[in-house]
Amino acid sequence: MGRRKPASKAPPKRLPKTLPKAAGAGVPPDTPGGADERALVVAAQNDPAKFDALYELHFERIYGFISSRTRDRTTAEDLTSTVFHKALENLAKYEWRGVPFAAWLLRIAANAIADQAKRARRETALEDDPRESAATANLRGSEMRGEELRAIEHRARLFRLVGELPEVQKQVIFERFVEQRSIAEIAARLGKTAGAIKQLQLRAVQRLRAQMEGGHG
Amino acid sequence: MAKRSLALQLDEAVQAMLVSLPPRPETAPDRELPPLMELARELRLLPRPEFRAGLKTELQRRATMSEGTAASAAGTGQAQAKALHYQRPGLTAITPYIIVRPAAQFMEFLKSAFDGIEKLRMPAPDNSIMHAEVEIGNGAIEVSDGNEQYPPAPADIHLYVKDVDATYAKALVAGATSLHAPVNQSYGDREASVRDAFGNNWYIATPIGWTPGPEGLRSIQPFLHLHEAQKMIPFLESAFGAEAMGVHKSNEGLILHATIRIGNATLEISEAHGEHQPKPCHLHVYVPDTDACYDRTMQAGATSVEVPQDKPYGDRSAGVKDPFGNSWFIATWQGTK
Repeated sequence: MGRRKPASKAPPKRLPKTLPKAAGAGVPPDTPGGADERALVVAAQNDPAKFDALYELHFERIYGFISSRTRDRTTAEDLTSTVFHKALENLAKYEWRGVPFAAWLLRIAANAIADQAKRARRETALEDDPRESAATANLRGSEMRGEELRAIEHRARLFRLVGELPEVQKQVIFERFVEQRSIAEIAARLGKTAGAIKQLQLRAVQRLRAQMEGGHG
Repeated sequence: MAKRSLALQLDEAVQAMLVSLPPRPETAPDRELPPLMELARELRLLPRPEFRAGLKTELQRRATMSEGTAASAAGTGQAQAKALHYQRPGLTAITPYIIVRPAAQFMEFLKSAFDGIEKLRMPAPDNSIMHAEVEIGNGAIEVSDGNEQYPPAPADIHLYVKDVDATYAKALVAGATSLHAPVNQSYGDREASVRDAFGNNWYIATPIGWTPGPEGLRSIQPFLHLHEAQKMIPFLESAFGAEAMGVHKSNEGLILHATIRIGNATLEISEAHGEHQPKPCHLHVYVPDTDACYDRTMQAGATSVEVPQDKPYGDRSAGVKDPFGNSWFIATWQGTK
């Protein structure tokens, strides 16, 4: 009948496909635990629709932390989704007691990783990876060490900076590191030579390095 | 052997990393290579932008459908009350205000077809209905009898129910006419359409190919078919701080379907086509600040129907007409004093 839209073109309605945006476009204020963040948390507690500001602020942190632990993209995405859904669900339970919101999210993430590892072990009955379990045990229910937190911040910052690269450099980085396409494939897709793609890759990584180092001062 | 360029050295090392192989030893490695590779290893963990955007949409949808859920989960009624402080209890941010004649009969239809529950009925001196509210699912329809000032203005409503087949059957028994019997749609809903005796179209749906969050769906969403529907989005954004949550356009740029959120509720729009022509209707929106919102609607191109004023029933409210001819009652609940 097509009352609303031609049936042939009707996309799944429940999860509208948002056009992919540059990851982290518009670097959010990098002040976990600051007064601004506190205001965002209170706003979201009063109006869950405002949760997306917190999501914008912390996505890179949480995803980066999880993906560094899981080393598998599908699992990292599943767990990141779990963490943010849980956070939204339990937002009212979060209270300011000197614990930054990021730490609260990371705690949820650490627990999700530990639970997932336990499930995976049950399913595969594989020998425990002592390195992984020690790491998650350290995280679960305890404060994260400074070194771990610095690594998380460093990675989150890098991810956001990728979003600010010049368009074509950004494209090369995503095609190469996320889609894991070959140089030849990327060259064909972007209509450039393989040599040009390698140059763009180098420029992008060099630029990111310079920005990362510049920002630490 | 001539030293290979850094671009080449980096690419080989990246290639080796991506396939988890040790890189070929460089005869004359560039000093810059190790720190660049350190970054490259981190870049391998980059999130997919589609995932980032998709999860955001999913969370928005969930948050929108459950405003107050997070608060109530913790059992803090106070937080929930705060969350909805500007909305009259029982109403969401967007409620269709359907003006028909005779409204009393329409209310009976809502009760028999959709298990509506009459929450309020305020008769006018001539016994017509000045204002009434019927709760349906987790939403409501506001109703009043048409008069000279406000002639009948039926609407199109997207109604989510538990069992579309049963509701469709009940609606027909209650006097509605079938537009189409229940059918599974490609976008994951089982859906039927009926037209009631008052000229309202009801798009009745039950999700079958997807699972709403634990808080469920908004039962009622007004559906506006518009000419140049794409112009409605910036209007709603600037006037109500609305957010387009999913916009599907044809190759020609016409809106096939868009879901727009205002506060904790949503409405849908699409380009008018075929028998689905514009049907200017009335919408009641609750906003945190009526005066500010009224000013924004004026700047966005609406015309004034009534300037903001305090109402005896506890709302501060205003009336405007959007450029498409729909009327908006803008209100802020001021609480029981």
